[in-house]
Amino acid sequence: MSLSRSIKIAAALVGVALLAFAGRQGQRYYKKNLAAPRDGEVVYREDCMRCHGPVGQGVAGKADEPLVGEKSVASLAKYIVREMPENDPGTLSLADATASAEYIHKAFYSAEARARNHPPRIELAHLTVRQYRESIADLLGSLRGTTSTTESGGLAGVYRERPERDPKMPDRNRPETTFKQQVDPVIDFDFGDKAPEKGTYAAQFSINWSGSVLIPDTGEYEFRVTSPNGVRLYVNPPENGSEKNALIDLWVSSGMSRSAQAPIFLLGGRSYPLKLEFFKFKDKTAGLKLEWRPPGGDWTVIPRTNLSPKFSSYVNVISVPLPPDDGSIGYERGASVSREWTEAVAKGALQVSAMIGPNLYGLAGTKADAADRADKLKAFSLRFAQLAYRRPLAAEQKADIEKIYAGGVPAEVAAKRSFIFTLSNPYFLYPGIGAQDDYAVASRLALSLWDSVPDAQLLQAAASGQLKAEAQVRKQALRMMKDPRAKAKLRDFLHHWLHVEEGSEIAKDQKEYPGFDQGVVMDLRTSLDLFAEDIVWSEQSDYRQLLLGDTILMNDRLAKFYGQKIVPGAGFQPVKMDADQRAGVLTHPYVLATFSYTKSSSPIHRGVFVTRNILGRMLKPPPMAIAFMDDKFDPSFTMREKVTELTSKPACQSCHVTINPLGFSFERFDAVGRVRATDNKKPVDAVADYTTADGTVIKLTGARDVATHAAESLSGQTGFVRNLFQALVKQPPTAYSPELLGQLTEKFRADKFHVRNLAVEVAVVAALRPTVAAPAPSNR
Amino acid sequence: MSLQHRRDFLRSLGLSAAALPLLGGLASLGAAEPPPGRRQRVIFVFSPNGVVPPAFWPDEEGANFKLKPIMKPFEPFKDRMLTLKGVNNRVRGDGDSHMRGMSCLLTGIELFPGNIMGGGGAPAGWASGPSIDQVIRNYLQSKPETKTRMGSLEIGVAVGNRADPWTRWSYAGPNQPVAPISSPYELFDKLYGSMKEGENLGSVLDGLKDDISKVANAVDKSDRGLLDQHATALRELERGLKESQSQAALKVPHPPEAGVPLDNDSIPTITRLQTELLISAFQNDMARVSTFQFTNSVGGARMKWIGIDESHHSLSHDPDLNTGSVEKLIKINTWFAEQIAFLAKRLQETPEPNGKGNMLDNTTIVWTNELGKGNSHTHEDIPWVLIGGGLGFKSGRALKFKKEAHNRLLMSIAKGFGHPMKTFGNPSLCEGGELKLS
Repeated sequence: MSLSRSIKIAAALVGVALLAFAGRQGQRYYKKNLAAPRDGEVVYREDCMRCHGPVGQGVAGKADEPLVGEKSVASLAKYIVREMPENDPGTLSLADATASAEYIHKAFYSAEARARNHPPRIELAHLTVRQYRESIADLLGSLRGTTSTTESGGLAGVYRERPERDPKMPDRNRPETTFKQQVDPVIDFDFGDKAPEKGTYAAQFSINWSGSVLIPDTGEYEFRVTSPNGVRLYVNPPENGSEKNALIDLWVSSGMSRSAQAPIFLLGGRSYPLKLEFFKFKDKTAGLKLEWRPPGGDWTVIPRTNLSPKFSSYVNVISVPLPPDDGSIGYERGASVSREWTEAVAKGALQVSAMIGPNLYGLAGTKADAADRADKLKAFSLRFAQLAYRRPLAAEQKADIEKIYAGGVPAEVAAKRSFIFTLSNPYFLYPGIGAQDDYAVASRLALSLWDSVPDAQLLQAAASGQLKAEAQVRKQALRMMKDPRAKAKLRDFLHHWLHVEEGSEIAKDQKEYPGFDQGVVMDLRTSLDLFAEDIVWSEQSDYRQLLLGDTILMNDRLAKFYGQKIVPGAGFQPVKMDADQRAGVLTHPYVLATFSYTKSSSPIHRGVFVTRNILGRMLKPPPMAIAFMDDKFDPSFTMREKVTELTSKPACQSCHVTINPLGFSFERFDAVGRVRATDNKKPVDAVADYTTADGTVIKLTGARDVATHAAESLSGQTGFVRNLFQALVKQPPTAYSPELLGQLTEKFRADKFHVRNLAVEVAVVAALRPTVAAPAPSNR
Repeated sequence: MSLQHRRDFLRSLGLSAAALPLLGGLASLGAAEPPPGRRQRVIFVFSPNGVVPPAFWPDEEGANFKLKPIMKPFEPFKDRMLTLKGVNNRVRGDGDSHMRGMSCLLTGIELFPGNIMGGGGAPAGWASGPSIDQVIRNYLQSKPETKTRMGSLEIGVAVGNRADPWTRWSYAGPNQPVAPISSPYELFDKLYGSMKEGENLGSVLDGLKDDISKVANAVDKSDRGLLDQHATALRELERGLKESQSQAALKVPHPPEAGVPLDNDSIPTITRLQTELLISAFQNDMARVSTFQFTNSVGGARMKWIGIDESHHSLSHDPDLNTGSVEKLIKINTWFAEQIAFLAKRLQETPEPNGKGNMLDNTTIVWTNELGKGNSHTHEDIPWVLIGGGLGFKSGRALKFKKEAHNRLLMSIAKGFGHPMKTFGNPSLCEGGELKLS
């Protein structure tokens, strides 16, 4: 081919390309600026559907996530104009973008649209792990009648001596005489070689302490006894008084100090019997220390706030490990059944059967050699099932139990099998099924407020048909709020709300934050618990105080670390700190430390926490997982500058435009919750503009502004109501009615944000509404 | 049984603390072929408060000896028993004679000084070394050909609830007493609990599956999925249970009859139940060593079933002149001998699982006591009676020794298992090595 011909062809090709380009640019220009505006739905079908699908559900490989969210139409339109379509952004006219935003918002994007398209319903669920354990503890307790206490102060001690008055009398026959009785706040004694009280016999004395241990949270507790003398410790022993039940048996000693420790799994919010027997027989020295290590904590002498001189009865704690519940939608529900869970439930039933075993005849009101014991055992099995199913048995259910007794095995074996059957049965595990009558109301009340089974009074009310009217139900709910189980349930809610469990893994760099050890973390957690619980259980029970309170409770260790002055040795006291900076739970050092890195603050974690938990706004997971690698940034950057750079891409900004300003507002607090003026030698900048859920822009100058917004904004209050509703009822409020959340929030505002009253309202609404439409088992 | 701690509970089910699924744990029970070779076993039996020497010890020495009243129940086993007179507990140190009689008996070593005061002497603590049963157990467990699931079983009848030097004679090491299981229900659970629980659970699964499907048919369609998951999980549970139950080659005996109170009057029944459980455990080769403890040191059994209302211990303090008491003590000790004869008979009736002979051929029962005589509290002439075979001793003899330390006898027993020990307990009491009994 000649040179001139190839140049001509090349020129022609370039010409075609230029024309095509011009044509394409012309097209884009035409579309954006000259074409007639299109209908919103038309825009969607022509320009959006190929990636987002016909109803916004997404297309695999293109837009994977469904097109749902909480932006207003205006902000959605703004986003579309700037960023969409993704492969050619900026091609839509403002009119088209707005029209399509309106269409998308109404058809499937908004919360109303979603509720309209997939009406939420009250879903069937089994007992959560907490509900399972609490239900069994209370169910077995109700067979015997129980006593518990919440009164702290120490253990009741009885001091005795065995003086050598008559040298001819052999040691063992000498009587013991009581010389003192008192409540000892803690057990931490060093008597040296002396007697416990002047004038008493130093070589031989004994002290017996009794009372209860008050357990705050569910988990495995370790107890430790240290002494050179003879000691036995009992914690929640079965009520037969046998020495074999001692948790720690150091009765026999050889004069040298030694320790022994033992673990025991206990349920939170309850009191357990505790007995400590101690004696000195001619050992050189005498002393005794009783310590514990709560779950996730460190060894300390058991504090007096966790000891009571009052008696408690034995609690049936099912300690079989259970797989954690499904928490994927923000609250725990029994929404799936795995093989692991079914096996664990079976083992739990076996553990119950073994617990009942030694007391079987007594509980059934019969004796081992009674002629009618088979009948009595059967009657007991039926009574047990009635309590477990939370209602009188239907004929079919009775027949099931009778079938087990007619199975050709001894009555005792049938009894064992009946307990296993009952506690693995769907009528126990799925409280929502069965007749939707007064018993169902009782059951729902007990689950929302106590995570447990109805007590005798509730069952009585159901039996006499007195759980039909709202006033009757409210009366029961108010009574139930006074029970320690309600306090435990609200504590559980507060822990979920504030992600307290996450904080148990707090570990900070010891060079940057020397002295911030496990002991400080444990004390901070106690401080947060006390702060939140004091507010919730005060007369006003004011939600706003949770966010706006400006004191932090500190004990000696915390006061030392945070450089504050308190009265030494007097336990936790309120300390007013940095009043213009502090804002309730949001700036409590435990929460700030939870949402920080090992060496620095984390505006992203804090921002996400505030967005979701405190302001109740929806946040989708990030489109790609990004690790925060400190060394990749300019070393002179502050944390704010690093985060700004990291999240600057438009894809990130769709969420980070909300997250970041909230997170930056907390930048005046370091990774252990102390106020700082500089970060990386530059002054801290905690000022940011934040766009609220309804589109208004507010200026945040620090944490207190965030807290004020959360306390005073409708969306913040609504978010809190939704969180509490879901924690108590384990269903979304929209499943009850689309207006319910709004109504509850209105009531909450009118009631001056009284948290306990809100819990009662939630429980009453949920109790009166039938759950699963399922006819009762047949009475044929 | 107190089930406070999750690990204890899982252990009592025969499962490890690493939450094995119910099924995986069961599958590991006795599935393997029994190892070849002789199964040597030893059972140490304890009864308290000494004996009545003239009614106990044969007068003769050697192969031609006559059994006195207390040992009359051993007549059928005369040619395979050994009596050893003159083997004394020479351990001294802290503790009264009952405490030392009990806690130095199988340990051959002094007690630690301590805070437990007896009827005389200095107060004491626990024994300062391991007991021979635990030493033999550990030796057997260390070799794959003699290793068993549990190694040893510490069994009791009416043992007191307190843990102190009067109630413990088996020690895993210094300051490490091993508690006996006094309840046949607890013992059955320890041996076969997981299998029985599996059976009980399996028996209710059909009823549960029925209820799940009834509920599933009645609920809203969109909720059915959850119940389907549940039904599937139950079916898998059932399949797993069936699998492991067919795999386990254990012969599970009948559980002990229900409702036996664990009190004084039930001692004969409890003894029989514990004996049968021990035999079955040996049959399933779950252990090769056992201690069997009747009450404890200073034990106060009231043997009403043979017409005796008084406590054993108080009778044992009465002087020899009180012939009424002496007669009762003879009756009491004869009753103990009858229980041991029953144990020996059951061993003899049970063929060795690997086919050669009966279990008594390979099992040695060692009956012993804390004291030689109750009212004198002597540690001389500790009652030693060996019945059975397996240790290579030349049986069918009444032996007499001159104040030998019992450490040497304990060494003989251990050496019968092949243990290479040069001393046991207090070494100064081991001069001359083991007693030659073969």
